Amino acid sequence: MPDMRSSIDARVERLARDMAQRVSRRSFIRSIGALMFGAASVPLLPVARGESPAPASPGTGADPGDPQSCEYWRHCAIDGFLCACCGGSAHSCPPGTEPSAITWVGTCNNPADGHDYIISYNDCCGKSECGRCLCNRNEGDKPLYMPFKSNDYNWCAGSKVGISYHCSTARIVGIAK
Amino acid sequence: MSTSEHAAARRGDVIQPRGRAGACAALALAASVCGATARAPLPPDPAGVVEPLPPASPHWVWVNDVAFFAFPDGRAFLVDGDSGKMLGMLSTGYSFTGVVAPKARGLIYSPESYFSRGTRGTRTDVVTIYDATRLVPVAEIEIPPKRASVMPMPGAQALTDDDRFLLIYNYTPAQSLTVVDTRSRKFVGEIEIAGCALVYPTGPRTFFSICGDGALLVTTLTDEGKVARSARTAAFIDVLNDPLTEKGVRRGDTWLFASFEGVLHPLRSTPTGVETDPIWPLFTPQELAQHWRTGGLQHLAVHGGSSRLFAIVHQGGPETHKDLGEQIWVYDLASHRRVQTIATRNKVGSIQVSQDAQPLLFACSLENNRLDIYDATSGKYLRSVDPLGLTPTVLVAP
Amino acid sequence: MLTSAAQVNYMLNCMGCHLPDGSGAAGKVPSVADSLVTLSSSAPGRRFLVQVPGASQSPLTDLELAQVLNWMVRNLSARAVPADFMDFTAAEVASYRRPPLVKVRETRASLLESATEQIAR
Repeated sequence: MPDMRSSIDARVERLARDMAQRVSRRSFIRSIGALMFGAASVPLLPVARGESPAPASPGTGADPGDPQSCEYWRHCAIDGFLCACCGGSAHSCPPGTEPSAITWVGTCNNPADGHDYIISYNDCCGKSECGRCLCNRNEGDKPLYMPFKSNDYNWCAGSKVGISYHCSTARIVGIAK
Repeated sequence: MSTSEHAAARRGDVIQPRGRAGACAALALAASVCGATARAPLPPDPAGVVEPLPPASPHWVWVNDVAFFAFPDGRAFLVDGDSGKMLGMLSTGYSFTGVVAPKARGLIYSPESYFSRGTRGTRTDVVTIYDATRLVPVAEIEIPPKRASVMPMPGAQALTDDDRFLLIYNYTPAQSLTVVDTRSRKFVGEIEIAGCALVYPTGPRTFFSICGDGALLVTTLTDEGKVARSARTAAFIDVLNDPLTEKGVRRGDTWLFASFEGVLHPLRSTPTGVETDPIWPLFTPQELAQHWRTGGLQHLAVHGGSSRLFAIVHQGGPETHKDLGEQIWVYDLASHRRVQTIATRNKVGSIQVSQDAQPLLFACSLENNRLDIYDATSGKYLRSVDPLGLTPTVLVAP
Repeated sequence: MLTSAAQVNYMLNCMGCHLPDGSGAAGKVPSVADSLVTLSSSAPGRRFLVQVPGASQSPLTDLELAQVLNWMVRNLSARAVPADFMDFTAAEVASYRRPPLVKVRETRASLLESATEQIAR
């Protein structure tokens, strides 16, 4: 289970669990989906604020696998240390690090539901490298001259604190198909 | 008794009376010692001695080290391939991508980044100029703190062929090149190269960058380091299906790049720009069916004199173009045929070849902190420098 | 549940640098919030929006790029979209798209400057 430290995350997690208990799995996914990114009427929150509504729960049936593992489905094109091993989670930064809003965005297939999810590989910055759970996979990765699809850049370059790279997250931001 | 006499006693030797005559008499049966003088105690060593580098050899190599688990502590190690000795090193700061060695020996240029508090605070980027014979910094040129923090690539920084201007790829994510005049030792300006990346010299003041639409942007500098001419080639790289890797190597007037699927693209510089020469495959259809492909961080090397191309290969699925390999395949650049297979001792991701007539092949990888050295002609493993560094990356022949 | 194709394409090709709300990062990635409406109201401005390398060199077809630009104007602008805003079309995008623009900074600055002068007049 990811170690969710922020109170916002903890409240949302409790909400998600409540809903899961009350509704079937399929409709649970649908309602969470609507909250996150379904209708055009729901604006996306700016990434820099580090908030997100109703994060998925890694390790559950809908989001299978271990976020501390390189084989986790969201890590299909990640390059770096997995924040889930460093005090963060698949979508959140460890304490005292700064999320980098600017990054590259890819897609990974979730074996639980067959969808290609849009994954934003936001880095956490401002400290030296976490040093745990190094993982490099390159599905859909392109060379440096196609930056919007390259995982060889230190994407902390776009962060407020600069290029000190600590770890990488794999945030779901939408569904491609 | 002295320490050495204690040791001798423990070995069971007979302790000899002091004095030359006594020693020889007592050791009359020990042929090797008879006639020798008694050993005088060791003199003290001089203090504060710093070794000079030995005379330069074509078998030296710079092993750049990005220190992937400790980015603030980048380094470059100088190794003598013949002796397998580490000769010295440079300490080169945060997210270090590589040194640049001009043709005229004597100096080393090193684009570096530093934070005032190690990993935070004010960032300062500099080009440090090191004396290559003493491995000490002799000058520093401050540059915009925009140096691209990327997996090390040779194309991240380069000198123009006349050694006059040092070009450094910037990524903020806005893309540009910093231009440094090595003669005046000053930052002279920044060239915007939006949509393009990296820098590959092709002539005295000319270089190209690779653009995201599959074209090259070819730039020529004035004597002041400003843009004299900038022209775009036609787009020829298949960026969607089989892009070129960034990891090209140069032989004379031609840059050689392998695509993800192992197609070799020669890019030849001309007085007016860059021309693409006919492409050729590194793998036969049978080899492709067996999923052979190139892989690594610096997966190509070339020996100009014998016209041979070295490529790190492995068997793997699509998009394993960064994976390490355990074989190096050697191709003849004239016939395009594989002429040799070298099995490596360890998995490798970076290779380099010295350019002399008895070349050495250097190999390392991010996953092992060691440098392996082979005879580039026979493929025979010679020696290793083990351990070396933290996470060795790009190998540069000085 | 699925986002629109245009928004998905924005996410995959643009959002990484321009951010979900188009605000970018000062000094590094320009904000599109204020400039989209301005630039899309003149031919040179519209050409710029198509020729800027992030757009021009994206793997999107001309039609997909037109749809992303229209989505951006309508969803990321801080200013109200004028009633006479003309949607980008595939044909228009095709006419502007190549070669990609390299001197992005000075072109953008001069376009926005001349737009300001026009408004002042």
